Amino acid sequence: MDKKNNSPLYWPWLPAAFALAGIIVFIFATFGPPASSSGFVSLIKGAVQTVAPEYVENNPHYATMPDTGSWLFAFVLGMAIGGFAAGRTGSIPVRDIPEIWEKRFGTSRIKRFAATFAGGFIILFASRLAGGCTLGLFISGSTQLAVSGLYFGVLIFAVAMVTARLVYGNTGKEE
Amino acid sequence: MGSEIWLGLLSGIAFGFVIQRVGASNADKMARAHLMMESDIPKFMLMAVILSAVGLLGLEAAGVANTRVLPTSLVATGAAGILFGIGWGFCGYCPGTTWAAVGEGRMDAVFALIGGLAGAAVFAHLHEFFIPLLYDPFNVGQITLADWTGSRPAAVVLLVFIFGLCIGAIHFLWKGKNGGQTP
Repeated sequence: MDKKNNSPLYWPWLPAAFALAGIIVFIFATFGPPASSSGFVSLIKGAVQTVAPEYVENNPHYATMPDTGSWLFAFVLGMAIGGFAAGRTGSIPVRDIPEIWEKRFGTSRIKRFAATFAGGFIILFASRLAGGCTLGLFISGSTQLAVSGLYFGVLIFAVAMVTARLVYGNTGKEE
Repeated sequence: MGSEIWLGLLSGIAFGFVIQRVGASNADKMARAHLMMESDIPKFMLMAVILSAVGLLGLEAAGVANTRVLPTSLVATGAAGILFGIGWGFCGYCPGTTWAAVGEGRMDAVFALIGGLAGAAVFAHLHEFFIPLLYDPFNVGQITLADWTGSRPAAVVLLVFIFGLCIGAIHFLWKGKNGGQTP
């Protein structure tokens, strides 16, 4: 049944790339390099400064980033709305646990949620160390011909491919 | 400020819509891409960069581009790339796709989002320790391909060539040809 998940449910990659590039160019014209890990910082900054304003004021990382009243936060919030709208108007099945994960590790939600919490923690920690993520550093950076984006891009793809092999082994291969 | 927020929201909605429809917010598809079983998502990402780079060149010619190149820190950018790859390969989400997946209603993405907020908070707390240790001493500045090619258009041509080769390699090396979806 999983083999069917490629049929007309998903947009073909080439027109989708044109659509995404149009949006990215629009963002470069109206704002600057798009980013999404910054939205996490904006949200956490907005939250923490309501309880500990002095801590946020003296923290050099929060100093570099606006709080929730910003393009950066509006953008990630918009992505959630866009994901919602696309999900509701399309027919891509929504699952709490990806098929391939379920095949490898079973149906335990706790296990999957713990894994994505850890994964989310790692990718944001790393993004903040580099100054950006897949979008803010790799896509935005490479679009601007930045060596930082290309260097980061090569590493994230290579290491993710090795990690996925270690995590999933031969799961899915037998299909 | 008001218009900035509306622009951000609008851009985000469009971006989230497209990445959901192409399947990038689906961690199953992302894992299959990493396992070289489906080539759609990586080809989509690389092609989007090619087209954006050409578009940005046009914006620059028109004088309406807002650019900001992040510096390269050999150690910090490299270590972060390795760490990020581990997290991405492990959970199948990257920061942007997490938001779209949460909007879709994927519960595991909600936990990725919470974990991400925690990771950002912990890094912010340790910023003063890590940045002078790993970032600053190895920062080689805001270097771009244009520093080597001499001109930005030539650098874009080089980028298009390299990314085009990558797309071709992915197309032939990845197992699935994606069920007739390839145009």
